[in-house]
Amino acid sequence: MLEIKNLHVEVGGQKILKGLNLNINDGEVHAIMGPNGAGKSTLSYAICGKPGYEITEGSVTFKGKNFLELEASERAGEGVFLGFQYPVEIPGVSNINFLRAAINSVRKYRNEGELAAGDFLKLIRSKAAELEMDPEMLKRAVNVGFSGGEKKRNEMVQMSMLDPIFAVLDETDSGLDIDALRIVADGINRMRCPEKSILVITHYQRLLDYVVPDFVHVLANGKIVKSGDKSLAIRLEKEGYAGLGIEENVA
Amino acid sequence: MTAKNHLGGLKFKAQFDLWGNSLPRSELDWVVKLRHESMAKFLQFGLPGPKVEAWKYTNLGQLNSGNYELITSADNVVNEMGLLENLKGSKVIFTDGFYNKASSTIESQNGVKLLSLNDYLKDFPEAAQKILNKNDDDSSLQSLNTALMTGGYVLFVDKNTTLTAPIQILHNTTTSSENKSIATKCFIDVQENSFAQIVEIFIGADEQNYWRHHVTEAIVSENAVLEIYQIQEEGKKAIHTADTHVDVGQRANFKHYSLNLGGKISRTEIKPTLKGLQANVDLRGAFLGRNGNAHDVFTHMKHLCPEGTSDQIYRGVLDKGGKSSFQGKVYVAKDAQLTNADQSNKNLILDRNAEANSKPELLIYADDVKCSHGATVGELDADALYYLKSRGLDQNAATALLVEAFVSEVYEEIKLEPLRSKYLELALNWLSKEHKK
Ligand SMILES: Nc1ncnc2c1ncn2[C@@H]1O[C@H](COP(=O)(O)OP(=O)(O)OP(=O)(O)O)[C@@H](O)[C@H]1O
Ligand SMILES: [Mg+2]
Repeated sequence: MLEIKNLHVEVGGQKILKGLNLNINDGEVHAIMGPNGAGKSTLSYAICGKPGYEITEGSVTFKGKNFLELEASERAGEGVFLGFQYPVEIPGVSNINFLRAAINSVRKYRNEGELAAGDFLKLIRSKAAELEMDPEMLKRAVNVGFSGGEKKRNEMVQMSMLDPIFAVLDETDSGLDIDALRIVADGINRMRCPEKSILVITHYQRLLDYVVPDFVHVLANGKIVKSGDKSLAIRLEKEGYAGLGIEENVA
Repeated sequence: MTAKNHLGGLKFKAQFDLWGNSLPRSELDWVVKLRHESMAKFLQFGLPGPKVEAWKYTNLGQLNSGNYELITSADNVVNEMGLLENLKGSKVIFTDGFYNKASSTIESQNGVKLLSLNDYLKDFPEAAQKILNKNDDDSSLQSLNTALMTGGYVLFVDKNTTLTAPIQILHNTTTSSENKSIATKCFIDVQENSFAQIVEIFIGADEQNYWRHHVTEAIVSENAVLEIYQIQEEGKKAIHTADTHVDVGQRANFKHYSLNLGGKISRTEIKPTLKGLQANVDLRGAFLGRNGNAHDVFTHMKHLCPEGTSDQIYRGVLDKGGKSSFQGKVYVAKDAQLTNADQSNKNLILDRNAEANSKPELLIYADDVKCSHGATVGELDADALYYLKSRGLDQNAATALLVEAFVSEVYEEIKLEPLRSKYLELALNWLSKEHKK
């Protein structure tokens, strides 16, 4: 599904990713862990085409397509979703209008007609209910005044509405209370199927108890320095990065 | 003879000498006399030039050098171009500045008098002389407007009367407007405890070069409410100047909404005077400009009495080749204690080749007041734009959604639903036009 080869990324003139390789096959769930500032969010932005993240070397291939040629919106159209570490507040745009615009944009990209208003409302109500989001929040401006946990839950509502085939979830578990973590984890697990893949970025083993990954990677100093199965995350939790011989970022 | 930093305006004098006697109501001596006096007053000053502080962003040089002819009559053929559907109430249409009886419908209501200015001059000469003479012009343009007026309307709302529906005033043009100056004037008098809403639309074709000059004089008496909603969609080459002067009485309420989209030059002047205790004024507007549109909003809020409140919200969106200025002057007299005056002007620049100017000016002589003002000029928020794109919206759709949000803040309090959606629809159309380029 996703193939990243020798990826080098610069941000603001700083070299952040320095030759990263990652292969994710259909149906797999991968987890990336790593010290603060290692470049995890940078990787998620590079995959999803954020301006300012300059790819100086390497390739990103999604379903056989050279992804680096596509605009951010086209990547979404291809079925990629990014759950933001810090979801953005957009004053004046209601959640519901935003979602309608998003869903119809993606459908347009796929040459599908607009979703009928009634079907859209039915869909959004059921998704909000699944993630136990108060429907009143759909009327509010996107993320404006949302608590940290509410923002993350909102990301999940967006994901389930857009129904991607590949999702990068950047610390979607941070800031969630215990119940919310379960609800969000259930949301992620609902997406799991042989045709879809997920990359979760997290600092905590706890999420991985609910969303059991097929592979765990450690990203440090701009590269994947260690890969393993779910037991790697458990060892990390116990021994820390230093205990595994991984240096903290030397800036 | 011309005042310092003013332009002569002599071509208007020449036109007036040629055609002044063919203007409407020339059979009434007092009207002819008034026109001549007003022309003389105009000539004492001339047209304000770009060195006049209040006009530093709007250059009327084209009015001075161009040979704008007078228009002395118009065909009374049906022309409803620009009329808003789904709004009930009287519809008064001016075509090329003349009252278009064939297209207008005036619904009668007890306590409401709505008639064309020229009928008013003829049928109520004494009252008409009174309001036209007491009219202490505060600008030379206003004097010129009186000298050249071709038509307009008069609205009287008696005490304790609520208009059953908003009155729609449409100003449209025909090909006869080419190279013409069109001067219209109107008077609105809303008596105690009464309520009136006016929707005023200015529309013209891109082909014609004309100057539309519209002056509104309004009185809002004690406890009364007057709301004016303007939509300006003049043709590309047009010059549009609209001045509103309003006296706001005790506990009276004046609201003015505008949307400026068209014209080569547009100037919207609003000058409310808060003359009674606890008078309230809200001014709201947006201006969207590109490709040679220059929009200028000039407000002068005069707080003369205690406990008045005024609030101004203006939003500008400037794309390639668009230019704007907002000048907001707030005056608080020594006696106007406990005044609360707010002002906010934010501008969004969509292209490097666009310009927005913002200039608040506060003159405060009372010591116990709350006054605030804020002005910003900025680009679209890059993080918001990316967030939207990451959800599948392309550049145009993402821009449109953000600009819509930016503009809609201005109109969100409008209770007349068809009007609020019309404002938003026009703003969105403006955006999608850009995308077609
Ligand atoms: N615009 C920028 N200019 C310079 N450096 C930047 C810029 N944006 C990010 N960086 C740097 O890039 C490095 C990687 O940041 P990134 O957000 O990818 O880290 P992360 O692994 O996601 O960290 P965390 O676990 O704290 O979320 C950091 O050192 C950060 O300071
Ligand atoms: Mg991060």
